[in-house]
Amino acid sequence: MTTTVAATPIAEPEVHHKLRRRPPSGVRNGRALLQSVAGYAATGLFIISLAVLIGIKGAAAAWVPAAAVAIPLAAILIGVSRFTRTRTKVALALAIGVALLLALLIGYLIVTISAVIEEPNTIFFIQLGLSLPFVLAVVAAFQFSRAVSWFDGTVEHQLRPEDSGARPITAPLTVAAVSTPTALAAAAASTVTTPATISLPPVIEGGDAVAGPPPAPGTIVAPAVVTPLLAVQGLKKHFPIYGGVLRRQIGTVYAVDGVDFEIMPGETFSLVGESGCGKTTLGRTVIQLTPSTDGRVVFDGYELADVDPDDMRPLRRRMQIIFQDPFGSLNPRMPVSDLIGEGLLAQGLDDRKARDKRVEDALELVGLRREYSRRYPHEFSGGQRQRIGVARALALGPDFIVADEPVSALDVSIQSQVLNLLLDLKRDLNLTYMFISHNLSVVQYFSDRVGVMYLGKIVEIGTVEQLYQDPRHPYTVALLSAIPDADPRRRKKRLVLRGDVPSPAAPPSGCRFHTRCWLRERLGNPEICSTIEPELVTFAEEGHRVACHFAAEISQSTVSQAAAEAPAVAAAVAEGE
Amino acid sequence: MTQTSTVRPGLGEPPPDDILVDVRNLRTSFKVMDGTVPAVDGVSFSLGKGQTLGIVGESGSGKSVTALTIMRLLDIPPAEIGAGSEIWFDGREVLSMPEREMRHLRGNDMAMIFQEPLTSLNPVFTVGDQIAEQVQLHMKVKAKESRDRAIEMLRLVGIPSPERRAKQYPHELSGGMRQRVMIGMALSCEPKLLIADEPTTALDVTVQAQILELLKVIQQRTGAALLLITHDLGVVAEMVDNVIVMYAGQVVEQGTVNEVLIEPRMPYTMGLIESIPTVEKRGGRLSAISGVVPSPFHLPPACRFEPRCPYHWETCREVPPELYQAGPSGRLARCHLQLAEAAQRLDAAVAQHEQNMVVGRRLTGAPDRIGNA
Repeated sequence: MTTTVAATPIAEPEVHHKLRRRPPSGVRNGRALLQSVAGYAATGLFIISLAVLIGIKGAAAAWVPAAAVAIPLAAILIGVSRFTRTRTKVALALAIGVALLLALLIGYLIVTISAVIEEPNTIFFIQLGLSLPFVLAVVAAFQFSRAVSWFDGTVEHQLRPEDSGARPITAPLTVAAVSTPTALAAAAASTVTTPATISLPPVIEGGDAVAGPPPAPGTIVAPAVVTPLLAVQGLKKHFPIYGGVLRRQIGTVYAVDGVDFEIMPGETFSLVGESGCGKTTLGRTVIQLTPSTDGRVVFDGYELADVDPDDMRPLRRRMQIIFQDPFGSLNPRMPVSDLIGEGLLAQGLDDRKARDKRVEDALELVGLRREYSRRYPHEFSGGQRQRIGVARALALGPDFIVADEPVSALDVSIQSQVLNLLLDLKRDLNLTYMFISHNLSVVQYFSDRVGVMYLGKIVEIGTVEQLYQDPRHPYTVALLSAIPDADPRRRKKRLVLRGDVPSPAAPPSGCRFHTRCWLRERLGNPEICSTIEPELVTFAEEGHRVACHFAAEISQSTVSQAAAEAPAVAAAVAEGE
Repeated sequence: MTQTSTVRPGLGEPPPDDILVDVRNLRTSFKVMDGTVPAVDGVSFSLGKGQTLGIVGESGSGKSVTALTIMRLLDIPPAEIGAGSEIWFDGREVLSMPEREMRHLRGNDMAMIFQEPLTSLNPVFTVGDQIAEQVQLHMKVKAKESRDRAIEMLRLVGIPSPERRAKQYPHELSGGMRQRVMIGMALSCEPKLLIADEPTTALDVTVQAQILELLKVIQQRTGAALLLITHDLGVVAEMVDNVIVMYAGQVVEQGTVNEVLIEPRMPYTMGLIESIPTVEKRGGRLSAISGVVPSPFHLPPACRFEPRCPYHWETCREVPPELYQAGPSGRLARCHLQLAEAAQRLDAAVAQHEQNMVVGRRLTGAPDRIGNA
């Protein structure tokens, strides 16, 4: 299976433009800033206008329409600006806007009531788009003969068609008001904005998952070329370090620093590396749990960085994650039905019964009993908890699962149960895995292709056979050599690396591994290692890529020679460096 | 099942001189709200001077409690040590020793390395001070000397620029460095016995290799006996000469590393070894031990592994198995398969094990489901 995948030509990921595209971040930030500034300015305007209205009643006429525009606009602009963008806040802002508008209208009616009494057949209205249907309704309901716009406080318009020619009509609003019922309806309709929404198929309908966004028509790929389900290009994720009195940024953690790889449909791709090398961050960034700093992630034809946040939801259903710690990742206050059902609820499955059924189906899928859905996490063993974590990922019917160290917290006998389960599910549900682990034995057993990470970079990538039988990066060699083998007959000399992984906030120059590299030492510390960063280039076989200047120097004999000198390393450790 | 009493019956004879640790019929249980947990139930083993012994088992098998009982680090109560339990250390019985003497023994003659170095080190003292404190306490030397000793220990465990590192706090060190500090601290008083409880579980594989290498070199240099507690059969294979496999508080298999790991005679050990993913098993299923470790309140009446054992028969449910002789001297297995009348069953089990080791079970059939715990 692996070899066929590796041999097939890999197509450049094709990007569908079906989803609403997100403008570049500069524009986005600028727009958000503008929106909130405009919102606050409008609010200020409103407050000033209220003051004026109370102070000088006569001059208020000009301020009222401005204020009436300002309030809902302010509320809406603040609400939809990116800084306050959550559903609750938007709803709250809109509610405040509507409430203020109603208050203003009522206040306005009270102000004008004397005029109405003086001239019973006249209604005053403010010239405002939103209030037009209201005014028209009032006019129709109470049979007013005319309406007076208080736009300038003086102009008076006839509403009756027979009187329409009596006065010059200037404001377009009034034109609409005096026209035919069709025009009236059009005017009313124009006040309701129709947002340009995209039509994604409903995610969950009647308890059954519907497939996610269908492939865009016309993007059918030639069957001879395998299109990756996930393609990552130049992906970076940097975290700022804040410090000092002013909490300014004083540094950057280069957690993931330029990573390229593809995952084919139905494949298990593994990432290995020591802790701190960025593999977990990479996994989280790939499924957009944390936004990337730079680079592309194309999932099934969708450029994830460009997808509007609102459109991510149906895509998220297809990309799930299993977390490492089965104790920390389950909320102890939630029963299993809520733990697993939360994702379904977020995807819009509101029906409690249907949700519970889906939860129980997922539990059954991972080999737990249906009635366990009413229990709490503390009632389960570690292996069972990890099964719950798997069930939570599966409940939404994903295609792609990031499994972040799913078995490292488990005992060895339970570990094999969970590994078997993951393999069964992959086969039965046609899943694609991105498997993150530091355990090279598990990775070798479990995956089709492997990427070795060191300090935010992939240093070697290839099929399991290529990597384990013919490792070409000195780090991979050292990792493989460090695996303790349970078979005493295969006891071997180890190649022990010195020191720890350097800090990802200050990665070494040139090749990041050069500070710990045993090969560099054997070659007499060539300068190129510390000055030029090696590219990830194809080595020997198709699909086997290595980032090392001296990959050709590595062979069975160099490795065994280096390992034979291992006692020297051990002695050096004991003597102190 | 565990009888406890405050009155100690007469002690047995001390072991021969070349035996450093002799644990005899150790029973440690914990009184908790729901009843009594027999954490360690009749464990016996001995460890010669300068030798290495590994205790393997899953979480809850009682391996750490065994170590803590030897160190007498358990609070009594809730812990209780059963009547007839004896632990001989260097010719003296540990369990009946007054606490004052025990304090002298701990740290001086026996030292322990814990799994999680960050929680075992005091965060408010520098690592140098923490090592020096122990040296000062146990070796009765001046403060200056103890500080020099601390730096010397840090150098011994391969910490670069130990003078600077000694002035640092635990949070300033990496995981591997912290574990080195722990090892340095444990070795600072030149103990005769070093107990390492999962010393590398929290570490990365390359750092694990460093620490194991270090432990090996230091053990050989100082001639301390090493009691290594781990769940990782790979670590055991690399590090020790003899091994004990524990399950649900009992020793279920014992022998040299080669004997136990290459020719296991107890289905639990077989299952443990088979469940390790290896290159040979690629593309197949891992053979997993079905079910979970039994609850200590509801232990199976006879053989404790019987409900999960693929080879069990009636006897296993009726007669508790003893530690039967399963080969040359010191090779023991707690399984009825060793009985003469079960020879055929044993052959079948061994053949199945050999097969599982090579191919793994093919990836077919119903998914592996586990039932109720």
